[in-house]
Parts: sequence; C-alpha cells; structure tokens
Amino acid sequence: MTNQDPAPSSRGALRRLLVVLAIALGAAIYAYGWNATNISLKEVQDPIRQASVSRALRELLSPDLFARSRTEQVFNAPFAIGCPEGEPEPTRRDDLEGDAYVIFSPGCADQDEVIAVEGFHLPANAIASIRIRRESGQALPFKLVRADGTVSEETAFDVDNSGYFYVQVKVPRGRGISNQTLPLEIQTISPTGWPRLSQTTKNVVEKMVETIFLALMATTLAVPISIAISFLAARNLMRQVHLPLGNVLVGFVLLPVGGALGYLLLGPLGRLAVGWGKDLWLGLISPVVTVAAFGVVARLSARLRLGGAGHRVQALVMNLLLLVAVVIVLGALGGVFIWLGEQLTGNVTRYLGNFVGTLGQLVDFTIEWIAALGGAIIVSSFGATWSAIALRTVHAPLSNILGAALGALSGAILLAFTAYIGTQAVLLGLLTAIVAAVLGGQATVLAYERLFRRPSIMLRRRRREDVSAEQAARSTLFIIGAVLTFLFAAYVLDLLRAIVDERPPSGRLMDLGLISVRVYIAQAALMGAVLGGLAGGLAGTQTSFPLGMAAYNTTRTILNALRSIEPLIMGIVFVIWVGVGPFAGVLALTLHSIAALGKLYSEQVENIDAGPIEAIQSTGANRLQTIVYAVWPQIVPPYIAFTMYRWDINVRMSTIIGFVGGGGIGFLLQQQINLLRYNQAGVAVLAIAIVVSVLDYASAAIRERLV
Amino acid sequence: MLRIDHLTKIYDNGVHALKDVSFDVPDGQFLVIIGLSGSGKSTLLRCINRLIEPTDGRILWNDVDITAATDEELRLIRRRIGMIFQHFNLVRRAPVITNVLAGRLGYTNPAWSLINHFPREDKQKALEKLARVGIRDKAYIRADQLSGGQQQRVGIARALMQEPELMLTDEPVASLDPATSHSVMKYLEQLNREDGITILCSLHFLSLARTYADRIIALKDGRMEFDGGPNEIDDRRFRDIYGEDAVRVEIS
Repeated sequence: MTNQDPAPSSRGALRRLLVVLAIALGAAIYAYGWNATNISLKEVQDPIRQASVSRALRELLSPDLFARSRTEQVFNAPFAIGCPEGEPEPTRRDDLEGDAYVIFSPGCADQDEVIAVEGFHLPANAIASIRIRRESGQALPFKLVRADGTVSEETAFDVDNSGYFYVQVKVPRGRGISNQTLPLEIQTISPTGWPRLSQTTKNVVEKMVETIFLALMATTLAVPISIAISFLAARNLMRQVHLPLGNVLVGFVLLPVGGALGYLLLGPLGRLAVGWGKDLWLGLISPVVTVAAFGVVARLSARLRLGGAGHRVQALVMNLLLLVAVVIVLGALGGVFIWLGEQLTGNVTRYLGNFVGTLGQLVDFTIEWIAALGGAIIVSSFGATWSAIALRTVHAPLSNILGAALGALSGAILLAFTAYIGTQAVLLGLLTAIVAAVLGGQATVLAYERLFRRPSIMLRRRRREDVSAEQAARSTLFIIGAVLTFLFAAYVLDLLRAIVDERPPSGRLMDLGLISVRVYIAQAALMGAVLGGLAGGLAGTQTSFPLGMAAYNTTRTILNALRSIEPLIMGIVFVIWVGVGPFAGVLALTLHSIAALGKLYSEQVENIDAGPIEAIQSTGANRLQTIVYAVWPQIVPPYIAFTMYRWDINVRMSTIIGFVGGGGIGFLLQQQINLLRYNQAGVAVLAIAIVVSVLDYASAAIRERLV
Repeated sequence: MLRIDHLTKIYDNGVHALKDVSFDVPDGQFLVIIGLSGSGKSTLLRCINRLIEPTDGRILWNDVDITAATDEELRLIRRRIGMIFQHFNLVRRAPVITNVLAGRLGYTNPAWSLINHFPREDKQKALEKLARVGIRDKAYIRADQLSGGQQQRVGIARALMQEPELMLTDEPVASLDPATSHSVMKYLEQLNREDGITILCSLHFLSLARTYADRIIALKDGRMEFDGGPNEIDDRRFRDIYGEDAVRVEIS
C-alpha cells in the first residue's frame, strides 16, 4: 500500500471544517429569516397587547350562541338621603313586593357615603342595579364599591340563584336631593323561559348553509370539466396518439373554417330555436320532431352500405345532421327553460324557476358558440380522416411541398391567434414568441435530420449510446433554434418595449383591401407562416406527429398555471366581474377545482392497469370506446374519492373566500371581526370548525371504503 | 396468409426488440413462437395488430398492408384479429358478460356502445361463446371473482366474439397451473382445428409447444433463431435458443 490517502487526520479536519461551515451557513439563513419575518418578543410581552388578546380570545371562546328572553322588574323602597336628627338606624329592613325584602345598613346615608345593601327573595340569576329617582324623574345610579373600598364605574351586579345579593354601593351625589326621602329602585333583569338560538347563531347557520352549497356547486360544476380534461392530461393515454403531420395540419387549418361555418350557418338556426322555445308549444314540439326526423334518417342511413369514399361522405353528413339536431334541441329547450323561468314566480317554485331560467339563459348566450365548436370539431376531424387516405399516396417531394403549404397556413393561424391574445394583455404577448420559439426549435431539428442523417443508418445497427448521443444532439439543436427564434420574435414584435412600458404591443392598423389587420398580428402571422412552412416542408406530410403529447403538454401547462393561482386571487377577479356574493366564490372555487381535480384525476388515469386498454383496442374499438370500457371502470372509485376530498377542501376554502367578497360565512366573519364583535365571530369560527371536521371525517370514511 | 416482411422494432429508449424478422404464416396454421423473456415474442405479436408501431418493415395480411393502414382502416383490420393475453386483461370490476361483449366493440354502433347497449343477437352470441368455453353460468359474476383459468376462458370468449380469422395469443398459459394450462391450450387447438382460425401463440415451455404446434419459430435477441416443425428441435438447437445453461423443464 504505497498510495494510501495522505494523512487521514487532515481529511477529518477538512470534513469538520465543512460541517462547521454548513452550521454557520444554516445559522445565517435562519438569522436572516428571523429578521425578515419580524419575530419580536417585545410585542409578545407588551401588557396592552396581552390585555387585548386575552379579551379577544375570551370573547371568541364565549360565542354568542344562545339567548333567553328577559324580564325587567323594578322594586321600590323609600330611602332617606341625609339622615334625620339623631343616631341613624344601624340597619333597616324594607319589604318589597311579594316576599322580597332588602336590608340597608345603615338605614340611611348622605351623599357619597357607602352603604351595604342585602337583598332576599329577588328574581334568581338576575342582573340588578340600584338607583334613586329624583322628583324630576331622573335616575341617579348607585356605583358599586369594591372590597378594598375603591369605587368602580360599574353599577350592575348579580343576584345569585336563591335570589340573594350583597353589595356595597356609594350613594350618588346630585343637586337638591339632600335631606329628602326619595324612591329607591332596585331594577332586576332576569332571564326567563328556555334558552333560544341567538340572532347571531341564526345568521351563522344561514351563511354556513350558503357556504356548504357554495362548495358543492363549485365541486359539481368542476367535476365534468375536470373529467374531460383528465384524459387529455394523462400521459399513458395520450402517448399513443400519433397522426401523420399532414392530417394534423389539415385538421388544424380546418378548425377556424369549421368554427366560422358553424357560427354563421348554424348559429342563426340555434337562435331561431331559442325563439321557438319561448313559445312553449313550438319549443316542446320542435325537439321531438327533430329527434324523430334524425332517428328516421339515421335508420335509413344505416341500411345504406356504401364503401370507401361514399362511406366517409355519409359519416360526414350524418355528423352534420346530428349537430343540426343537437343545436335545435338545445336551443328549443333553452327557450322553454327561459319561458319556465318567467312563469315560475311563486314562493317555492321561484327557486326552480330561477334555476331553469338561468340554464336557459346560459343556452341563449352560448348557442352560437356551441354551433361553432361543433362545426369546428366535425369539419376538422373529417378533414383529418379524409386527408389520411388522400395523403397516404403522396411521396417526396410533393409531400414536402404540401407540408410546407399546410405548415405555412397552420403556423400563420397559430401565431396570429396567440398574437391576438397578446394584444389583450402584456404578459400574454410573450406567448407569441414562445410558440414561435417551439416552431423554430422544431424546424432546426428537422433541418439537421434532413441534412446530416440518412434514414437507412437510423434503422440499422443503432446502439444505445448512439441513441442517447442523438437525443442529446437533438435537444441541443432544439434549444439553440428555440432561443434564436424567441429572440428574433421578441425583437420583431417589439416585446421588450411592450413589457417594460406595460402596454400591449403596437395597435396600428394595416389595410389589406377587404380587412384591416393590426400590424403586430400581421407580423406574427408572417413569422408563423415562414416557421411553419419551414418545419412542414422539411418534415413532409408523412412524418408522424405526436398529437397526443402536444395536447398533454398544453393541458398540463395550463392546469399547473391555474393551480398555482390561489382561489382568493381568482375570487378578487370574479368579484369585479359578477359582483360581491356567493356566485363570485362559486366561480373562483370552480376554476381552481378544475385545475386541481384535473391533475388529481389524470394521475389516477396514469396509474391504471394498461392491460385492459390493450385488450379493448385489439378488438377494434375506437378511442372513446376504449376510454368507456377499459379506462372508466378502473377510475370510478378513485374519482369519487377525490371528488369528496375536493368538496372537503372547497368547504374549507369557501370559509375564507368571503374575505374578498366571495360570499359564504367568511363574509360574515370578516364583518364581525372588523366591528370587534368577537363573541359573534366566535360563533362563526365554531361553525367552521364543526362543519370542516364533520366533512373531513365523512370524506375520510367514504374514501377509505372506496380506495 | 400473413406475411411478416423484414420487421424491425427499436423502442424509444434504444432497445432493439426485433431485428429484420421475416416469415409467412399460411391460413389455418398453429404457429408457436418460443424464446427467452425479452427475446421479442410479445413485441412481434403486438406489431401484427399494431398495438406497437413497428419501426421498419411491413406486415401483409391477405395482401393488405397493416403497417400502412390509417387509424380507421386499422380498426377494421383489428376486429378480425383476436388477441389473448398472459394476464387476461379483463376489466376486473365489470361482469363477465360485459367483458365478453366488449369483443363486439369494433362492430357495434359506437354511440349505443357508449351507454353499454348491445344488440340482442350480440348478447345471445356472448352467452353461446361462454357456453363454448364452459362458463355459461358465470356470465353475470364480476370478472375478478373468477379463477385464473376461468378468466383466461373469458378472454378467449371475448376474442371469439370478434369472429376472428387470426388469433394472437401472448403467453396464454404463463399465469396458470399445468393442468389449467392444458385445458386452455386445448380450447385454442379446438379453435384452430374446428373453426380454422390461424393461431400465433407465444409460449415459454417447449413441451407445450411440441404438443400443440404445427410449426415452431424461435426468437433470440430479436432475431429468428429457428423455424421448423415441432420435432426438429434437438438438444443442440435447444441450447442455441435458450443458451448454454438452460435445462429443459417438462410440463406434462
């Protein structure tokens, strides 16, 4: 052993030094943290603050839960101020109403003198006070004297549960009451009857119900949307979804076309149907007729067995007819709901009327957009499947030329759209550059593959090291291309100026004959056309495009961004939009729940057994069938469990969403705290604690049973 | 006829699962594929119905290029190819009858099937297929209540619902005990003999392969190592396929 470690002791010393340094660094970090968070013992010990906190805590812990009705009784006894000649009586008994009596000692006294008063058989548990009434009717209260002889400001004292009290009081001072016998009044206020819930409790219960329903509405509104999103955000489902680039591009280009067609052609139809619905009878008949007509056509169409292209045209026509039927039925029902909402105005039916009326209005608002969405989906998916056949026989160089053309169109649409969003808010302007960067990076990688890699080498004799080296090369090229494009886009679109000056990018208009476009959007579209054309041309229409992963990444990014924004902040925005009240809270919690549940659900989808998916796919089932038969049965129990969990979270969150005006019990709590009514705030705090812990327990029990 | 033509599969992580594999399967043959774990048997079977996308090469079935089919065409091809899995791949929480009916998904109206509605003929047929594999009485029991052998028979019934011309069976007996293994293999043999279904079956045990195969193909590290009759595998060939240290395990 010639080459041993040099002097182990020095290494030990080094290690010790490192440990000391680490401890010192840790201490420094905590010292900074201590200062940054203003931890101060002086405030803790301040007696004024201690007094306030103990008062606040005492009141919070004595919640104003119950109240009893109170009766006031006044007992009269004459009392002489300034004793008559001679020695004053040491004690004097005065009989009051019923068997009640008081003993004064001494029997009379002058102003400012202290006397003891002892009472018997007065109303039990009453709060009492003693006062003397002048001839003018004014009452002069007797102040209580403490055991040490000092005079307090208090005048009220307690009568014990046998109706006895003993107090020392000071005779009040007043002009012209000396040497008179005046009526002395002992006023008792005693609780009677059973304790009832106080008004505070009633308010709190009412708001708590509102809170629970707020959470329920937010959860139920979020669940269907989250379920749909969760499949898009599940890696295992989306990874398999690949389409040739040509089809994807055709589908993408047709999206706005289909949307516009749906909006322009079917939108008016939907509006017409809403009008029918408001007539009631027409509104009830038209959906039935529509469904029946569609059923007949569907039956006829099913008999028709066309092959190849004919079959596809038939499928398109049937889908379009289905969309027409859906728009008519939805519109007519929306109209009927609006009509119902106007009719149901009775005391109880008002609730139902308001509910269906709002649903009807929702249809009324969105019918054109539903038509547009349907049109976009149908036209785009038809384009994608049709082009799958048409583009299969297309080979290079035609496939590259087609790819370039389609890519240029898609890129222009994509960047024009993101640029349009960018004109609305400064930060969103960055999106244009980011999307351009992704396109640019992709184009760089494709150019490299085109120029330096032969496909034959790619397929044969590839070792693992080669693969990883190639991956590294691709990633590097992607990053270089993306960064360069980002910088270029940021420069051309003047993003730096926009962000520093906090103003959306240039709004100058450019006249293009038929339409005028903002220069900024036109620049972005041009850039998109070049980048998209480049990428599409290099890749050609045959390249397999990971459509699923693209959707997955987009969905995940949006979900993560949404989830990181607290519902309180969303609440502020929605309060501005829909005003103070529980509706704003519902919207804020719904949005946050969609993001949170979308992620939780999608992780459940990722954890399922892949076997049934394989099995169902191998039977020739389509994607929707695969989800319904292989995925859905596996995810129902965890979905229910997570929904319960989310409701639980939403109840907890809705207790504070009121602090920003989002309705629910938080609103009440904030008011009471601001008015320093801690007794009443205590009721709200208690209610929150009870409801949250009950729900916590219930959801835990249900989850345990399901998972 | 099924023609595998220079089939190559390289996974994204660089694993070379199939290397230039080519062979033909005449209609009605019972072909057994043997080889060690990781030799590419499952990949080969899954490339045929494109549960796994091949990297290169073609698969022609009755002169239709499966590898070039669009999604829509692929669905139509898949519904004529049944598949049976080592772990049965049933939807465990669903009743047996639903699992069997799922075999009809490629044929039924997609909209109706989404609400679990199947034509009456299909339900009738599902019960017939269950009767054929001897578990008609288990139709309305949840799939996870059945034993392994029964579950695999549900898997067979599901594949039969497709009225397949070709059956891909991926180690159908690897999760079963020897006696059950034989009973499941017997059902496959019956389908092959009586219904004329072409069967491609991957197996671990050479003894089972010898009993049921018309022809055996051996894969080793993604390459074809052997192609011939069940009795042509002698000790030397056996060691070529399974490696020098291998010992024959008989399953009776």
